[in-house]
Amino acid sequence: MQPFNPLLETRRQFLLRTGNGIGAAALSTMLNPSLIGSAMGEGMQQYGGLPSIPHFPGKAKRVIYMFMAGGPSHIDLFDYKPIQRKLHGTELPDSVRQDQRLTGMSSGQKSFPCVAPMFEFGQYGEHQTWVNKDLLPHTAGVVDKITIVKSLHTEAVNHDPAITFINTGAQQQGKPSMGAWLSYGMGSVNENMPGYVVMISRGRGQLQALYDRLWGSGFLPAKHQGVKLRSAGEPVLYLKNPKGFDREARRGQLDSLEQLNELNYDKFADPEIQARISQYELAFRMQSEVPGLMDIEGEPDHVKELYGPQTDKPGSFARNCLLARRMAEKGVRYIQLFHRGWDQHGALPSKIRQQCEDIDQPAAALLKDLDQRGMLEDTLVVFGGEFGRTIYSQGKLTKDNHGRDHHGRCFSMWMAGAGVKRGFEYGKTDDHSYNIVENPVHIRDMNATILHQLGIDHNKLTFKYQGLDQRLTGVEEAHVVKDILA
Amino acid sequence: MAKAKLEKQIADLNRKPVTSMIMQDNPPNKMRMTYVLDRGAYDSPKKEEVIRPGVPKALPPLPEGAPANRLGLAQWLTQPSHPLTARVAVNRYWMMLFGEGLVRSVGDFGAQSTPPTHPGLLDWLAVDFMESGWDVKRMLKQLVTSKTYRRSSKIESMHREKDSENELLAHAPRFRLQGEFIRDHALAVSGLLNPMVGGPGVKPYQPANIWNEVSLNGGLRYKQDEGDKLYRRSMYTYWKRSSPMPNMLIFDSPSREKCVIQRQRTNTPLQALVTLNDPQFLEAARAFAERLLKSDKSETAARIDLAYRYATARLATGREVEILTQLYQKNLARFQSAPETAKEFLKVGESPRDESFDASEHAAWMVVAQTIMNLDESLTRN
Repeated sequence: MQPFNPLLETRRQFLLRTGNGIGAAALSTMLNPSLIGSAMGEGMQQYGGLPSIPHFPGKAKRVIYMFMAGGPSHIDLFDYKPIQRKLHGTELPDSVRQDQRLTGMSSGQKSFPCVAPMFEFGQYGEHQTWVNKDLLPHTAGVVDKITIVKSLHTEAVNHDPAITFINTGAQQQGKPSMGAWLSYGMGSVNENMPGYVVMISRGRGQLQALYDRLWGSGFLPAKHQGVKLRSAGEPVLYLKNPKGFDREARRGQLDSLEQLNELNYDKFADPEIQARISQYELAFRMQSEVPGLMDIEGEPDHVKELYGPQTDKPGSFARNCLLARRMAEKGVRYIQLFHRGWDQHGALPSKIRQQCEDIDQPAAALLKDLDQRGMLEDTLVVFGGEFGRTIYSQGKLTKDNHGRDHHGRCFSMWMAGAGVKRGFEYGKTDDHSYNIVENPVHIRDMNATILHQLGIDHNKLTFKYQGLDQRLTGVEEAHVVKDILA
Repeated sequence: MAKAKLEKQIADLNRKPVTSMIMQDNPPNKMRMTYVLDRGAYDSPKKEEVIRPGVPKALPPLPEGAPANRLGLAQWLTQPSHPLTARVAVNRYWMMLFGEGLVRSVGDFGAQSTPPTHPGLLDWLAVDFMESGWDVKRMLKQLVTSKTYRRSSKIESMHREKDSENELLAHAPRFRLQGEFIRDHALAVSGLLNPMVGGPGVKPYQPANIWNEVSLNGGLRYKQDEGDKLYRRSMYTYWKRSSPMPNMLIFDSPSREKCVIQRQRTNTPLQALVTLNDPQFLEAARAFAERLLKSDKSETAARIDLAYRYATARLATGREVEILTQLYQKNLARFQSAPETAKEFLKVGESPRDESFDASEHAAWMVVAQTIMNLDESLTRN
């Protein structure tokens, strides 16, 4: 390949090429990387991103977001209060429910009996934090590493708008996902890997649909969309060479292709031709890099054991957690693990148990593993879903069974690492875990806080579209939740 | 004979009538009422504030006698007394062919738009478009036969110095084709393209489990079509918004969730992986190779020339022929030393292969065909 001369490039072409994530060309390595704002700090080179970012030094270099799709019950996991034992079986007072908009699934119910969790809770850590002892024994063990926010709230009450809202900042479809915003703003630090990776695992409960838009790029360039790493078949779509055509044969083909494209460049002098040559080379490198990352054979047994018995199963949440750590080590900026199956309208006690069996140990293991490697210092870990669930039973409340409907007025998430307080609880709900009584955190605020930890002012990360400077947090005010930051 | 066939076709069509949805206005006394929503809340209409169909007050009123419905709106938009609609339309045709509009903010002709680079030309085109009776085909023909459109895309250093954005169009713009065009181009050069117009959408090749990975309870599976439905133009590909066709999305095809006037044009490694490894493209390369083998050209150089003509509309240069001949020979030797790999390589796709061609030779030509289809020149409009 010919050495590339940046002086031959127009400013526009330079910006086009450098303003990207996964598509950051090898060309930009030949440019002086110090020209590009380095959000990753010393020793790490950045490809693409906006020169204005970081707006200020951020504590986080990357985010691992464990997204619990379907709406996990905050009451049964983190927002328990002993007084709920007394409320069990009583009718939800109008003074608590006010005139809340209910989903069509329980709005026709004649009675709204409150249900205390049908599990045992314990108090853990330095601050005696209540955690479900039956379901989350491992999470209980790392409670001193995390901040639990109990006062998240959202306007949406159904899955599609709610999950779209929290992931893209708008209930209406078409906006870029948070990962796409980050790829657009911060670029990538490993040119052989996508800057934004998504992995999906299936729980055993009711699986609500996911949508490509949750990791989509909306109106941002398509290269910023999350790359779905798949557990079965090829980890990245179209990654494998066809049968009968091995890597060596492909190498030879690409060499010829490069020569031909160089001839074309001599003729047209269009820098885009050089960029295309680089992208083909990048594709070739991804073909070896990505499968290597997905292969956990080299992980020592004690690490695999840390993540639990399901680690051996490709496509499990446990496997994905371990892979997330491997991606983080390789410089992937935003790693999002979707775990499906949290929609317990009925048979909640048995189904939420299954869900927690799948996620408790791996989620805690990921924290420990990151911490041991010193990576929790600059990795922001987030755990939560699109909304919470109602204190009242959906359907009939029996001695050992009940369901819970969607609830957006309050729900819980936890965060850890990268400047988030260790061993802390934030926000308070009422006795029914139904309304927020202290320190509400809108999902916009949560998203603004995540950006803030990465060194981004959510008001300044914008993209002009349809006459508006669009941003992840939308047009309404959002506040960084400074109280949870160390 | 032909008449009997047509009569049978008519009889068949009459036997199973096709339902087609149409829309029409309710009668005036049954019009759905629309109200101002109190502070935007969908469940708080202000019954005293009825909204009636109309156009914004700041703009001219509906034409005299025009009904306040979609017909009236269409008449209003296309009134000869204002050029705005025609300007916007010709600007978009211009963008389609030249990569950028004469007004670069193609989705915004308002106060914040960028001014046109050639205002006189834009107005002339707009008036000409209206006076021709809004004849789109004529307009496109006019643009593609213009001197400007036919200029070379070679970028001279003088262009770069004096007009780095190429606003003056001293050279023809080069830009990557849209994803749909890239697939259609591959199908067309391979001879596989099914040119049928209209009809229901089709489901061509898609990697396994894309739909059920995201669908409710994983129940929804993609059932791929067969036969010539696999080779229809990409505009007929079935589009599922929650899980769009990945080989299109990777090429910046919008998800169809929001209206997109101006597509992004990115250049990523994933795009290379599509045109190198997607069965749709591999099969096209295989068929393209077969097309070359079937032609009356038997010399390697002549076949390469022919391939260049199909894919890039020009002949290959001596150096290009040399590079591809070497590639062909290397691959031929490789496949001949392991003929089973050639057979495996040729297996891709559902269209049958002409078995009369030697597998190793066919496979080696497939590599050449694929290389040509992956040239920057094949993927780019220049």
